[in-house]
Amino acid sequence: MRRHHLLLLVLVALPLLVLPPFLSLGLQNTLVSMLVAALFAVSFNLLMGQGGMLSFGHAAFFGIGAFATLHLMLAVEDGLGVPTPLLPLAGGLAGLGLGLVAGYFATMRAGVYFSLVTLALAELLHTLAPQWDGMFGGEAGMSSMRMPWGGLVFGSVLEVYYLSLAWVALCLLLLWAYTRTPFGRLTLALRDNEQRVRFMGYDTHKARLVVFAVSAMFSGVAGGLLAFSNEVANYTTFGMPVSAQVVLHTFIGGSTVFLGPVVGAAVLTLFAFFVSDLTRSWLLYQGVLFVLVMLYAPLGIGGIVELHLRHMRELRWRALAGPYLGAAVAGLLIAAGFVFVIESLAVLFSSDYAVLRRDAGGLPPFPFLGTEWQPLSPLTWLAPLLAMAAGGWLASRAGRRIAPLWDEARRVHTQGGETA
Amino acid sequence: MSTPVLELRDVHKAFGAARIIQGAELAVARGERHAVIGPNGAGKSTLFNLISGMFTPSSGEIRLAGRRIDGLDANAINRLGLSRSFQITNVFARMSVFENIRIGVMARHGIRFDLLRRAAAMRAVNEQAQALVERVRLAGRRDTLAGDLAYSEQRALEIGMTLSTGAEVILLDEPTAGMSREETAHAVELMRDLTKDKTLLVVEHDMDVVFGLCDRISVLVYGKILATGTPAEIRADRRVQEAYLGEEAA
Amino acid sequence: MLMEFLVVSVLNGAIYGMLLFMVSAGLTLIFGMMGVLNFAHASFYMLGAYIAYTLSALGHFWLGLLLAPVLVGLLGVLVERFLLRRVHAFGHAHELLLTFGLAFIFEELVKLFYGNFPVDYRMPEALRFTAFTVFGTDYPFYRLFIGGTAIAMFALLYLLLSRTRVGLVVRAAERLPQTAEALGHNVPLVFMGVFGTGAALAGLAGGVAGAFFPTSPNMALELGVIVFVVVVVGGLGSLEGSLLASLMIGLFSSFAVGLDWSLAGALDAVGLGGWAREMGGLMTTTLSSIAGSVPFLLMLVVLLLRPAGLMGERS
Repeated sequence: MRRHHLLLLVLVALPLLVLPPFLSLGLQNTLVSMLVAALFAVSFNLLMGQGGMLSFGHAAFFGIGAFATLHLMLAVEDGLGVPTPLLPLAGGLAGLGLGLVAGYFATMRAGVYFSLVTLALAELLHTLAPQWDGMFGGEAGMSSMRMPWGGLVFGSVLEVYYLSLAWVALCLLLLWAYTRTPFGRLTLALRDNEQRVRFMGYDTHKARLVVFAVSAMFSGVAGGLLAFSNEVANYTTFGMPVSAQVVLHTFIGGSTVFLGPVVGAAVLTLFAFFVSDLTRSWLLYQGVLFVLVMLYAPLGIGGIVELHLRHMRELRWRALAGPYLGAAVAGLLIAAGFVFVIESLAVLFSSDYAVLRRDAGGLPPFPFLGTEWQPLSPLTWLAPLLAMAAGGWLASRAGRRIAPLWDEARRVHTQGGETA
Repeated sequence: MSTPVLELRDVHKAFGAARIIQGAELAVARGERHAVIGPNGAGKSTLFNLISGMFTPSSGEIRLAGRRIDGLDANAINRLGLSRSFQITNVFARMSVFENIRIGVMARHGIRFDLLRRAAAMRAVNEQAQALVERVRLAGRRDTLAGDLAYSEQRALEIGMTLSTGAEVILLDEPTAGMSREETAHAVELMRDLTKDKTLLVVEHDMDVVFGLCDRISVLVYGKILATGTPAEIRADRRVQEAYLGEEAA
Repeated sequence: MLMEFLVVSVLNGAIYGMLLFMVSAGLTLIFGMMGVLNFAHASFYMLGAYIAYTLSALGHFWLGLLLAPVLVGLLGVLVERFLLRRVHAFGHAHELLLTFGLAFIFEELVKLFYGNFPVDYRMPEALRFTAFTVFGTDYPFYRLFIGGTAIAMFALLYLLLSRTRVGLVVRAAERLPQTAEALGHNVPLVFMGVFGTGAALAGLAGGVAGAFFPTSPNMALELGVIVFVVVVVGGLGSLEGSLLASLMIGLFSSFAVGLDWSLAGALDAVGLGGWAREMGGLMTTTLSSIAGSVPFLLMLVVLLLRPAGLMGERS
């Protein structure tokens, strides 16, 4: 297990350190967003995956971190002697402060009511911020500039990237260390059964508040990094879409594994970058992916990987290879068919096509994937539907063969535990 | 008799119009094993919930080692030395057996909000947790998730968690409910062993367990303690027979 | 002047409140009966508006009003049967997350088919007339139509739940699912019916209100959050509470827009107005400018002090 971790670390860290100078500016910027999203998601998941509290208003702490950092940047512009690399610290402190206040109230409630309190708090800030010029710069928002420090200019994206990488690595390390402390273990107990923790002599309101505040603090650092990188922020940073995005990242990546949210944030941010030129329906695919994960793989990507690692020895990999390949092909078929249908519809319902239709006075063929397709021809729609149907058939077949193999592996695993 | 370690004086509890506990009086002596029995709906669970801080009494006094505890939060009561188990298994399902126990041992050592050391480096805590895992006979299941345990194992863990905080007064709520005869015998032995130098208050339906394990018995009927005495006295008490044992025997 | 302000504000606020009620009625019904906090509920409202828009663009306004609830209700049934039921075993948080994902999908689908801009959904000419005139302002008949629909909806639901066996069965299914099952009631069917009905109500609201308020892909997000405020303040699960909270928030919103009260103004009464104005910031912020924040403040206060809401039964 140890060696796996080390290997994984090298495999991930090395490209992150070495590759960026050779990448395009757009990709460098995307990598900064990815790092910020990853830290935000892991902070969020400290509360959700470890503390068992589902926040629908985490944008509040992300946003407050961004604004606090901008305020400090403005002060540095005016000559305050704070080293530029330490600016995101302001975000962390602001996140901690707001987290203590908001958390005090939110942790008075549990379950759905907790989620509603966090949602209301974030919306309160979201609606207040545009009216509050001094604090949040009103509707226009705030902007500032990174000042040079210690021979570093912080003018290039690359410098920002490496600073973000250092901050995110440090924060992830601290968050990982958190899970190893006595209070980190208590956090898991709070998630599993708050009542029992109370009856074992712990003040659970206080304990949940601490979890909340730590999560808010690191979310604030993430927001601070964003402000540091963008040099601007406005009230939309407090909005529901920001709170929603971190939920999506976390659950698609897997909330039961420490690095799951990192996987979710990385996959979704990078994918968005690569396909944003190709499709306008990226958010739709992301939503569909989220719902599919909720329905069929509640553990998320990270959880599934972890499950395989845990059963590494008990699984019969040779027997699984065939069905897994089948499932992969099935997934590709379904995805291809679905994307084809959606993208065709996107073309057909676009304003460009409306013009085309008006000129042609009927339903002219539409261009897609380098060829022309007849919108009323059954072939146009039958092909993707057939692909999806075949994929579905293949998936259920593969599923039937995979299930017993997994049952067996689980059985062997628990029995092994018993004899040990 | 010296001052009782746990004492209830004229305790009442009503939920709206429903008066569940109506003037309960109880005195548990230090070091004794005391059972509360009574027909279904007599208020046994409510009584436990009042003592352990789940509910606040409507009126009356509850004292632990002479100190008023009614109205305190459950976590404070536990810190004062009273720990309870639950009738429905109430463990940390996604944590290992060892970690379930360790949470309580941490509380015993006053380690509550510690973010500055490694859990693995708490030597005394880990040793005591390990010892307790062995005492509740779950050593072979040390690293199994609590949710994956068999039912009787979960019940043993439940008792272990109750003891883990180091409380002097232990309340067990139907510890053998749902167990087979064999498992029950096993559990009684375990309870006897584990509570050797503790004070035990137990709610139990199985009369064999009650008469075999406990020094004294209190009978709760309609929210009042009808009688308290040794097993022999309780057996001989006609009022108790009428109210409870007769009905059970029929 | 004051009288005019009062009357116009009440009339406008009441209608906005009625719209809030139409959407929140289904949401509170679903939460009360099934414990599911349906994040996709405002999306059902949006879908209703778009369905009605599509048909009215084809010249069938009334058919649109009929089909909006029917189709959206059907969609609700499908969502419950094939999606929600699958994750029911994982608990309420999981159900909430699923509906949250669905809200995302519905919004993007609407953008895909209708574009990311408001569509021109209008009431037919026949309904475009003035009902009456107050203080020289024409009051459109269509507002009364929206209010009437909401009142009819409330009356129907209230009678259905309190006077018929349906209400009894639904309540039994929620509180004691096993017992209800044992008594021969089909609990899954009841849940499916409740969810479908809730969705249909939102669909109808969309069809009716979409022709008056803007119909756009943002309408779900915009209304969605405020509808949560309504059901929380009214008491999750309470129909009467929802009505009360809807009217409260509707009236407040319409009054606040016209009022330039500020903390500084209030402090004038004790002679501290000048000091407050020097402080600026929140002190001089007018009520009208923070009108959007007040509902969330109210929601927080209710959640923290009385989570059962104004009319809720359980605390």
